[in-house]
Amino acid sequence: MEFRSPAEPDSERIISTPGKAASTIVEARGLTKIYSRGVEQVRALDDVSFTIAEGEFVAIVGASGAGKTTLLHLLGCMDAPTSGTLLLQGETTTNLSDAALTRLRRQTVGFVFQHFGLIPTLTVTENVLLPLLFSRRKMRNYAAELLEKVGLTHRSNHRPHELSGGEMQRTAIARALINSPRLLLADEPTGNLDTANGEAVLELLQRLNADGLTVIVVTHNPILAASARRQITLHDGKLVSDSANIRP
Amino acid sequence: MTWLRLVLQNGARRKLRTLSTAVGIALAVGALFSLVSFQRGYQIGMRDELDKLGAHILIAPKGCPYDAASIALHGASWPCYLKADYLQRVKSTEGVAEASPMLMNALTDQVSGSQSVYVGANLDLLGVKRAWKIDGAFPLADTDCLIGSSIAKAMHLQKGQQFDLPCLKGETGSVSGILQSTQGADDTFIYVTLARAQKLFGRPEELTHILVRLTDPDKLDSVVAALRGCEAGMDMNVVPLTHLFRTIQRMVNSTRLLLLCILAVGTLVAGAGVGNTVLMAVTERTREIGIMRAIGASAKDIFLLVWLETLTICALGWGIGIVGAMLGAHGIEVWLRARLPFAPTGTLVHPELGTALACLIGALLLGSVAGLLPAWRAAHFSPIEAMRVGSGV
Repeated sequence: MEFRSPAEPDSERIISTPGKAASTIVEARGLTKIYSRGVEQVRALDDVSFTIAEGEFVAIVGASGAGKTTLLHLLGCMDAPTSGTLLLQGETTTNLSDAALTRLRRQTVGFVFQHFGLIPTLTVTENVLLPLLFSRRKMRNYAAELLEKVGLTHRSNHRPHELSGGEMQRTAIARALINSPRLLLADEPTGNLDTANGEAVLELLQRLNADGLTVIVVTHNPILAASARRQITLHDGKLVSDSANIRP
Repeated sequence: MTWLRLVLQNGARRKLRTLSTAVGIALAVGALFSLVSFQRGYQIGMRDELDKLGAHILIAPKGCPYDAASIALHGASWPCYLKADYLQRVKSTEGVAEASPMLMNALTDQVSGSQSVYVGANLDLLGVKRAWKIDGAFPLADTDCLIGSSIAKAMHLQKGQQFDLPCLKGETGSVSGILQSTQGADDTFIYVTLARAQKLFGRPEELTHILVRLTDPDKLDSVVAALRGCEAGMDMNVVPLTHLFRTIQRMVNSTRLLLLCILAVGTLVAGAGVGNTVLMAVTERTREIGIMRAIGASAKDIFLLVWLETLTICALGWGIGIVGAMLGAHGIEVWLRARLPFAPTGTLVHPELGTALACLIGALLLGSVAGLLPAWRAAHFSPIEAMRVGSGV
């Protein structure tokens, strides 16, 4: 793992993280995102650089408005940086067309949202299968396997409004995994859950990471942040710290 | 998980809105289907009527040719009469193969209100009505009657039976023959000899009309000109039936054109309604569309999804419209029959599978155009902006 020191934003000093062995899946170089709000310009991300290796579990933390979600959206190819370069699996995303970005997102990234983002008219199984419709693949058995993995086999024919918050989030996680992504991006995955359900989701994310999936979560939840092996802290759009969590 | 399932589920979210939008399309489709079916039925009916009539020319007293044709074909009382001696002049005209003198009168029963149509004719009629099949004989004796199949059935008449002539108190007749079903107005007439009809209705030496069959139908124009130019031509209305039907058809077609123009406006309004509804649905689901983009849907996928939703609403509207038109066909027929100056006796509304399929193609084309704007709009949402909608960010 590498990051650019927030204290020296313009320097090229790169600090290596101890234990780096696996190949790099995400490489951010000077990512900057500026939004225009009328005449005002908001610098949501300011020259953020880091790399993430395959198999890492990274928590992005910071106060509200620090740029966490913006960064997550850039990493998921949902938005383009104003400047800087992002490499996903070694491929530069900066100049890719919308179709190419969609393809990359579909093949590489799985998204989990705070508000679950399930389609209310579809059943649990159908929600999980939805990404396959867009990738023109048929893997119904894999959906059943995933639902078993997240403990929702008994809920497969239910609609989202019949589920608890934790079940909805686990459905969303199963949906994020259906295309076998290498990177799971989760935006406040426990933000709408009670403690018990939050812990269940956390445990699931840890299990997935243990199976080799790279997980990046944006969170305010200190337990979730602490359970990640690495923590990136943003403040006012700048990366202020990037450190490995020390586990007991 | 299939596209169709996703599309149907989206449509089912707001059932009432989807249904009311589809009803707009249904009205346009139903009206178009009914109009085309009517036009087709009218054409077939007219051709049928002409075939059954057997005559090429109708000679009637001076007046409206359409009224004359309608009375002669469907049976009613005539307001004026021809002199019987015109018949010889007609028969002697070159190109005339058969000329059948007729005296028609319709009587209404004061108690039941039912109508009986009497037609006085002689054997010349069989030269015109060549398709007729008679169980028995054509009336030759004074009391002989040839009974139309519907009347025979209604009055339970048998060949050789004596019976009281309906609406003619004290008059009796003998069934000399029963006319086999023609599927036309002839089935409802009672045929007597011309002489008896003239006596019964107090019209000696008078006729209501003459049916003329030509040796060569291609010489219609020259025979019509000859009849109009003969001595009695000034007192006769010489109506070439083919031309008459063609004129009526032309009139109906012009009405159809006008209706089609109105219908086109209605269809455009329905199309705009569909477009607007889908646009509204897209706006409501902006965040959901953003999520779909996030989980792998391309702009093309979103375009396809919204476009298919529009087509589905139009296909639903088509289905409702066709079913509605089929169910309402009888009512439409009754309504039209009461308003048309001349309507053939057969079915007026003639629905065909080809018409229904053409309407489906039309509805889908309309949906294709109506769905372009909402589909384009949905496909061009920025995923990130779309996901922010409703999230308070």
